[in-house]
Order: sequence, then structure tokens, then C-alpha cells
Amino acid sequence: MNMTQQTSEAVRPHDWPGLADPVHDSQRLFRQLLGAMSEPGTLTELVLPELPTGAAISPAAWGALLALCDLDTRVWVDQGLARANLAAALAFHTGARLTDDPAQADFALVTPDTLSREDGFALGSDAWPDRSTTLIVMVEALAQGDDWWLSGPGVPGERGLALGNAERALPLMRVLAANRAHFPRGLDAFISSEMRLTAIARSTRLAGPGLAATDDAEHQEETA
Amino acid sequence: MNTAIDSGYNFAYLDEQTKRMIRRALLKAVAIPGYQVPFGGREMPMPYGWGTGGMQLTASVLGADDTLKVIDQGADDTTNAVSIRAFFERVAGVETTTATAQASVIQTRHRIPEKTLRADQILIFQVPIPEPLRFIEPSEEETRVMHALEEYGVMHVKLYEDIAHHGHIATTYAYPVKVDGRYVMDPSPIPKFDNPKLHMSEALMLFGAGREKRLYAIPPHTRVESLDFEDHPFEIQAWDEPCAICGATDSYLDEVIIDDQGARMFVCSDTDYCNSRSEEKA
Repeated sequence: MNMTQQTSEAVRPHDWPGLADPVHDSQRLFRQLLGAMSEPGTLTELVLPELPTGAAISPAAWGALLALCDLDTRVWVDQGLARANLAAALAFHTGARLTDDPAQADFALVTPDTLSREDGFALGSDAWPDRSTTLIVMVEALAQGDDWWLSGPGVPGERGLALGNAERALPLMRVLAANRAHFPRGLDAFISSEMRLTAIARSTRLAGPGLAATDDAEHQEETA
Repeated sequence: MNTAIDSGYNFAYLDEQTKRMIRRALLKAVAIPGYQVPFGGREMPMPYGWGTGGMQLTASVLGADDTLKVIDQGADDTTNAVSIRAFFERVAGVETTTATAQASVIQTRHRIPEKTLRADQILIFQVPIPEPLRFIEPSEEETRVMHALEEYGVMHVKLYEDIAHHGHIATTYAYPVKVDGRYVMDPSPIPKFDNPKLHMSEALMLFGAGREKRLYAIPPHTRVESLDFEDHPFEIQAWDEPCAICGATDSYLDEVIIDDQGARMFVCSDTDYCNSRSEEKA
């Protein structure tokens, strides 16, 4: 078959790039993910080969999946992102299982819009807050900016982010801002666009247009 | 990079699936500062109590281009530190160093280096008993509920009993802290002298308990308060004399008995700090 004439359905699982050096590439990617989660709002570039034509997720999101998923993890995928045979590729490269139940998901591939429709992701419990879903979010753009302001652990003072159109990012930011209300339960998020990635932890305080003002006055004082 | 790696093992000893399991747990730990995340601890080629928790974290974090430093009570040259350093030289082939400033990953038993850590460094603590409430409440089920409900009053009762017995807070190591205003955490048996270094640190700090199979973290720039009372504020140790070798007045000093007449000297516990100060003066 001629590669260039493939429809997205004809993309084979091994057309998706794996890690050339699984041991050291996954270590490198993990350290970037760890750095991102430790310092929410900082940007990092995950270097990966090009994804097959028709893929609806970012190379950075694919990198996070390759680094973190294996047969012990369940992944929930928004139908809009499950293009170019993503499910088969994920199973082929990592052994991860897909789930239709968001409450069962260790990782969820979503867009901000997904979160206005789907709210069943696992938050963990007060006793076991680690039993939660980690979101891997596709956004249209990702840069330092002044739309969304992050503070809290990992952030000296404040850090500003722009995720493209603020209106379209709002469902995501509402969900992440709500983390403070039910901490330690909550959703952690890796947010990606192309090769670029940042993270917002559940411990992060968020401020921005359309978000309720934070009541965490004690912390504001401390970092001011 | 040293290429003379023991090829019988995967890079850094642990298999990849174990590393991924620990890595996923580490991401949760960082996102919930001070919360103890359970992980599937593996048997390491050394007994519990020698740093198996710290080693599993180091093995999961370490890359071929990292430079590793290992300290035991501040010293680079004690059995535990030498063995763990040699272990990772053998199974990962990484560069090792004793210089704090040159290390990208530092595994430590019971000290935080005197030299202020940077943003590009990761400090990994070996933890014997991760649960700060354990000596008050032996049941794991109970302490888990206490953490869930933020029921920490009993911790202050323990410190108060110190004051009632001794007139001051007599806890000198493993001094409990509160992380980001939420979780009470055992900082591992570091002297309380080191507690202020946990607060708003530039470096990421990871804690691994091998026997108890728990790991936890303090991200950089995170509030870490040592528990205390308004009328008995938290204080760190102080010495009347400087380090007998390098003259430092700002470092944690070990008391060393030097003869059978009871004569003693006080020297820095951080050997790299002491050596580099002595070299500067020479």
C-alpha cells in the first residue's frame, strides 16, 4: 500500500513512533514531566518524532503516554481525539488498556471542551487522594501569558499562562480551579500543544477570567 | 559517561515497569505535597534500613547524564554512602561526585547539605518510618483517617508533653512539619537544624521509605512549617564553638570524642562543606 494515500483508518499501530531507546528516552521524558509537575506553569519541550497524519493528539501528549503507560494503566480517550488508530497504537506501544468509564481511568486524553461534557473522572478519596485520574489535555496554544495566574507549591510568587482562546480554555480551568475546594482530592493535568507541555497540579491555586476568586488568603500573604 | 556498566542488569538495576510504577507515584506525590503515596516496593540487594526506599527513587529518577552524590549523616565517606554510590556506578554507570554543587541528584540519609541547593538538583531522602503519627497511633488505618480529616491535634499534644517534661520541645530530629498548610509530614530523621532548609527550597525533594513502601515529596517553593507553639517557637540547634577543622559557625556540628579522658571536638557533619571551606583557607 502506498503510504501517502492512507486514510487515517489505515494508519497502522506501528506507524506511531515508539521510543528509539526505551530506557533512556522514557527516563528523559519522565524527568521533564516531573519537572513540569514540580513547577506548575513552566514550559518544557518534549522532543519526539512526528506523529502519523490524522493524529489528533499532540506529540507531547504521546510522549507522556509512552513514558507513563503500561499494562497496569487504564486510559480514557475523548472520541474526538481517537483518530489515526490511536487506541491500537497505544495498546501496541505501551500495553495500556482503554476504558469507557472515566472513573476507572488512570490517564484521560481530553480537550478543554471534553470537560464541559464529562465530569466523571476519578478524584481519589480523602484517605487515598492518589487514586485519581491524571488529565492529559490538548490545547490550541500554550505560552507564557497573563490569562491565567498560577500560585502555590512549585511557583515562586505567581506564574502566568496563556492557552489560546481564554473562553475555550475555561471549562478546563474551572475544573482545575475547583481542585482547591476538595483538596486533597482532585485532578492533576498535563497540558500540551504540539511538542510543548506544562502541568497544573491539584495543589496549584488558579486565578483568571471566569474563575471564582481564591479564598486562600494565607498563601497569598506568604508568597507576596 | 562510564561505559563499564554491569550488563547483567537493566540501567539503574530496576526493571522498566517498576520504574514506571514509581514514576507515576512520584507525580502524585509532587501534586499532593506531603501526602504519602503507596508504591510497590521491590526487594533491593541490601537489607531494609540501609536506604532501599531512597535507592528505588534514585533508580527511577536517574539518567545516564546525571551526576550522583550520596551522603550518610552528611558524610560522603561512610559505609552506607560509599556502598550506594558504588552500586549506581556499577548498575547505571553514572558519574558520581562528593561535591554538592556538581551533583544533579543527591541521595541522603538524615541530612540536608549545608550548601544551598539549586533548582536543577533533586534531593532524595532515605526514610525509615514515613508516618509522623505512628508513635502516637500505631494503626495505619487510623493514621490514614487522621490525615484525611486533617486531625493533627495529637501532634501538638506530643510536643506539649515535651515541654511539660523538659521545659522545652525536646524533639531534635525527625521534627514534624506541615507542608503547604495541609499535610503533617515526617521530614525523615534529619536534625531539626535542617528543617528551615525544607521551606521554599529551590530544589525538588523526594522521600522514599522502602520497608513501609511509601514515597512523598516537597516541590520547590513550597511552604514548610515546623510545628510549634506561640510561647515555645521552633528553634534550631546552636553550638558555643565553631567547627574545629574549618571554623564554620553556620553548619551542623557532630560531637567527636578524641581520647579516653573525655576530651571532645565539634566538627561539621557535612564533609564536603567542611573540606571545601578548609581548602579555601589553605
